[in-house]
Amino acid sequence: MVVAVTNLTYLLAWAYLDPRSNYVGRRPPLSETQITNLLEPRNLDDATPLLERWWTWFSGILFRWDWGVSPTGQSVNEQVAYRMWISAELMLGATILLTAIGIALGVYSASRQYRLGDRIAQGTSIITMNIPIVVAGLGLVLLAIAFNNAVGSTVFYVTGASSPDVSGFFPTLVDTAQHIALPTAALILVGYAQYHFLQRSLLLDTIKSDYVRMARAKGLTKQQAIRKHALRTSLIPVTTQVAFSIPGIFTGAVLTESIFAWKGMGQYFIETISKNDINGVVAVAAFGAVMTAVGAILADIAVVALDPRVRVS
Amino acid sequence: MTTPVLSVRDLTVSFPSEAGRVDAVRGVSFDLDEGRTLGIVGESGSGKSVTSLAVMGLLDDNARVGGSVMFEGQELLGKTDAAMSKIRGNGIAMIFQDPLTSLTPVFSVGDQIVEALTIHDPKISRRAARDRAVELLRLVGIPRPAERMRSFPHEFSGGMRQRVVIAIAMANNPRLIIADEPTTALDVTIQAQILDLVATAQRETGAAVMMITHDMGVVAHTADDVIVMYAGRPIEQAPVDELFADTRMPYSIGLLGAIPRVDKAEKQPLVPIKGSPPLLVDLPDACPFAARCPIAVDACRTSEPELVAVGGRPDHRAACLRAEEIRAGRIDGGPVYPVPPVPTSTLETVPRELRRPTLEVENLTKSFPLTKGSFRKRKIGEVHAVKGVSFDVREGETMAIVGESGSGKTTTLLQIMDFARQDAGDIRIVGTSVADIKGGRAERDLRRDVQIVFQDPVGSLDPRMTVFDVIAEPLRTVGLAAAEVGPRVDELMDLVGLDPAHSDRFPAAFSGGQRQRIGIARALATNPKLVVLDEPVSALDVSVQAGVINLLDELKVRLGLSYLFVAHDLSVVRHIADRVAVMYLGSFVEHGDVDAVFDDPQHPYTRALLSAIPVPDPVTERGREHIVLTGDLPSPTDTITGCAFVSRCPLYQTLDEPDRARCEQTVPTLTGRTDDHVNACHFR
Repeated sequence: MVVAVTNLTYLLAWAYLDPRSNYVGRRPPLSETQITNLLEPRNLDDATPLLERWWTWFSGILFRWDWGVSPTGQSVNEQVAYRMWISAELMLGATILLTAIGIALGVYSASRQYRLGDRIAQGTSIITMNIPIVVAGLGLVLLAIAFNNAVGSTVFYVTGASSPDVSGFFPTLVDTAQHIALPTAALILVGYAQYHFLQRSLLLDTIKSDYVRMARAKGLTKQQAIRKHALRTSLIPVTTQVAFSIPGIFTGAVLTESIFAWKGMGQYFIETISKNDINGVVAVAAFGAVMTAVGAILADIAVVALDPRVRVS
Repeated sequence: MTTPVLSVRDLTVSFPSEAGRVDAVRGVSFDLDEGRTLGIVGESGSGKSVTSLAVMGLLDDNARVGGSVMFEGQELLGKTDAAMSKIRGNGIAMIFQDPLTSLTPVFSVGDQIVEALTIHDPKISRRAARDRAVELLRLVGIPRPAERMRSFPHEFSGGMRQRVVIAIAMANNPRLIIADEPTTALDVTIQAQILDLVATAQRETGAAVMMITHDMGVVAHTADDVIVMYAGRPIEQAPVDELFADTRMPYSIGLLGAIPRVDKAEKQPLVPIKGSPPLLVDLPDACPFAARCPIAVDACRTSEPELVAVGGRPDHRAACLRAEEIRAGRIDGGPVYPVPPVPTSTLETVPRELRRPTLEVENLTKSFPLTKGSFRKRKIGEVHAVKGVSFDVREGETMAIVGESGSGKTTTLLQIMDFARQDAGDIRIVGTSVADIKGGRAERDLRRDVQIVFQDPVGSLDPRMTVFDVIAEPLRTVGLAAAEVGPRVDELMDLVGLDPAHSDRFPAAFSGGQRQRIGIARALATNPKLVVLDEPVSALDVSVQAGVINLLDELKVRLGLSYLFVAHDLSVVRHIADRVAVMYLGSFVEHGDVDAVFDDPQHPYTRALLSAIPVPDPVTERGREHIVLTGDLPSPTDTITGCAFVSRCPLYQTLDEPDRARCEQTVPTLTGRTDDHVNACHFR
C-alpha cells in the first residue's frame, strides 16, 4: 500500500510540479542546456522520458535507500532524517499532553454533567477549539515576550528549536524546554478540546450503562465506578482516534512550525512544494503513508489491550 | 419482636421532566423481615424498579426522594454516596434485570467478583479473595470455576452471566437481596435455574429478598408477601396466599385474570383491562385506576383511596373504596370483570382432516456456513439452524412453535416468509409450492396470502410514516385503486379496535398494545390466508397482552385465518394454539394437539419446559414438581451424533449403559402412540 501510494505521488508530482521553472527568470538568464545540465544529474530533467526518470528514482530507493536530491542538490534523506526528529520532539509531547488533558477534562465534566464545573469546562473548550492556530501562536508569542520583558531575561524563546551554542545534557534539556514550551502550549490550546468533547460524550453513554450501576451496587462510589468501569470501555474509541492522528502529528503542524520557525516535517512539506522539489514531496508523502500505517497498527494494538472482546482465541 | 431488616415508610420519588414533575413513587411502605421474600408486582411504569433503586440510593441525582428507608435501624435516605457505598454490596446486594449488560465487558468475571470482596474488606489477601470467588462461582453452579475466573463476560451465556451477578450479590453475605426482574431476559428453563439459585442464596445467607417482577407466576413461586403497585402506589398488599385467594382490588383482579394459564385447558377468553396506565404527571386526587375500572363509582373520582386493612385482617390491605364489597374477585354475585363472549367458528365443527391446509412444510432445512480467515473465507463447517422440520397448518387453525432462544423457531418462520426453496423438501402455501414460483409477479401474488406480525411493536413501524401510510402500504403494493385504499384502511383500523379517526397520527402517539394492533392491521390488509406471528405479545404488559390475544382469537374466527405462531411463553401458546410443536436445537422434539402435548407431555424436554413455568397460584405452585434442567443449550456448532438433548436430559441420567449408547448414537425420529401426537425420544 505504502509503495503504491508513493509511486502514485511521484507520477502526480511530475504532472504538477516543474523543477525547470525554478530557473526561469534568473539573472543572468540560464540557457535551456544549462538548466538541463543542472537538472539531469539530479534526475529532475523533464526531457528524460518519465519511465526512465521513474526507474532511476525507484531503483535508487530500492537498492540504495536513496530518495534523491532537491533541485539545489540537497539530499532528501538527510533532510527527512533531521526534520523528522524536530517534528517528533514538538508533536509527540504536545499530543501526549493534549490527549491527557482532553481525557482528564472529559472525565471531569462527564461526572459533573450540567453542573457549574462541566459548563465552565465546556464553554472554555468551545472557545479554545475555535481559535485559529495562527492567532493562538502569535498571541502566545506576545504574552511570552511581555513575560520575558517583565522578568528581564529570556525565559521563553519564541523562534527555533534550539540555541546553537548549548552543550552538555542539562543545559540542552533546559534550552529545549525553553524553546518547546510555546509551540507545545499553542498546539495543546487548540487541540485538547476535541478529546474533551469526545471523551465526555462517550463516558456519559457508559455512565448510564447497567454495568456502571452494577459496579455501584457492589459498593463502589460513583467516582470509583466511573474511573474503574466506565472509563476503560469509553477509552477504546478515543484511543483509536488518537492513534490515527499520528500521521497528522508529523506533517500537520505546518502553521505552528512556521510561526515558531521550527524546521520540521510540516514546514518541509510546504517548502518542497513551493520549490518544485519533486523528490522531497514524494518523500513527505511516503513518510505520511508509513505513519498512517503505524497509526493503524497502534490503534489495533491499543484496542486489543483495552478490549478483551476482540482478542482472538 | 425483632426489628425488620428493611423498613420503608411513605417513600416518594419524583423526577423533573419537560412535561412537569413525574411522581414515579407515591407513598410506599412495608417491612421486610429476615429470611422473608417480598414480591413487588406491577407493569412497566408502576414504580417498582424506582422503589428498589431508591432503597439502594442509585437513582439519578435529579431524583427527589422523600419518606424514610430504615435498613437495620439506620436511615438510608440522605446518606452521602460514600456512606451508601459502604452498605451497597455489603448489607444490601442487588441483582439486575439484564445479565448481558450488567457485567463490565472489559474485566474478567473473576476480577469483578474479587472487586466486590476487596472493596468492602481492603485487608483481605488476594489469595483469600480469589479462593472465595472460586467458591462463589461453584456455589452458583458454574462448571470448572477456577478456570472460568479468567473468562470475560462475553464468553458466557445469559444464564451463566446472571449466575455471576448472583455470585457477586452473595459475595459479602448481604442481609437484603434486591432482585429486579432477575429472570425476565432469560428462557424458562434458565429462569427456573435462576429462581432456584436465588432461593439458595437466600438460604445460604439468611437474607431478606425483595423480588421485583411483572410475572404473577414468579410471585406465586417465590414470595411470602406481595405488594401490587399501580401508578406509583401500592394498591394491594397481602401475604401471598391471601392475595391470590381473596383478591380485593380490581386492578389485581384484572392482572390475575389477564394471564393465560399453562396448567388449564379451558378455552375462555382472557379478561383484558381496558386502556393504559396514566401518565404520572399532575395526577388528580382520584383513584388512578378509576378510568380503567369496570366497577368505578363517582366517589372513586373525587379522592384517592388510602391503603387500608380489609376483611378484618391487618395484614391484607387494599386501596379501593369498594374493597369490602369484593370477595375473591367477585362483586354483587358476579365477577368484577365481565367475561367477554367466546368467539366460535363454524370451521371448528369440521374435523381437522377435512379442512384445507394453508401451509404445508416438508423437511425444511436451513444451515449457515461457518467461515474462517479474514481475506479468503474458507468454509470450515455448517451450523444447522433448522433440521428436517415438517408440519402443516390447516384453515382456521393456530399452529404454535415453542422453544428457547437459539432453538431455530424464528429461522423457520423466516424461511417460510422468504419462500426459500428446499433441496430435499418443500413449502406449499395454500397449495402452491414455492418451487413453482416463477418471476416476481407470481411471488407477489403468493405474498398476499402470507403476512407477518413482528415481535417489537416499536421497531416494526416506521416512525416517519403515519398509521394510514403504514396500513395502506401493502394495499398500494398489491395494486389497490387509490379510491379504495381509504375506506379499506378505516375498515382495518376498526377491525383491530382502533379509532379510524386516529389514522393520521404517527406511531409514536400510540401505546405498545395499540402499535401491535396497527401491526396486525397491516398484516391483514391484503386479506391473507395465513398470518405468521413472531412473538406478538412478548413485548407487552400483561393487561395489554390479554387484549391483543383476544383480538387475535376473534380475528381468527371472523376471518377464518390460520396462524403460525412462534413464542417462548408457553402459557400464551396454550391459550391461543390448536396445535403445538416443541423445538430444540433446530428439530421438533414433540408435536401434536395443544391439549395432548400440555396435559400429557412425552418428551423429557417438553416435560421440563412445562414444569419450569411458575403457575400464578401459590397453592398449586407449592405442590408442583419442578424439573430443573442443568446447563445451557449446547452450541449449534457442536457436532451431535445422537439425540441433541442428551447433555441436559434427566431421563438419560436414569438409563442403563446400552440404552444410553442408543441415545448418544442414534438420532431419534418423531414417533408416537398416535400419528397425531408424536415425540422424538427413544423411550417414550
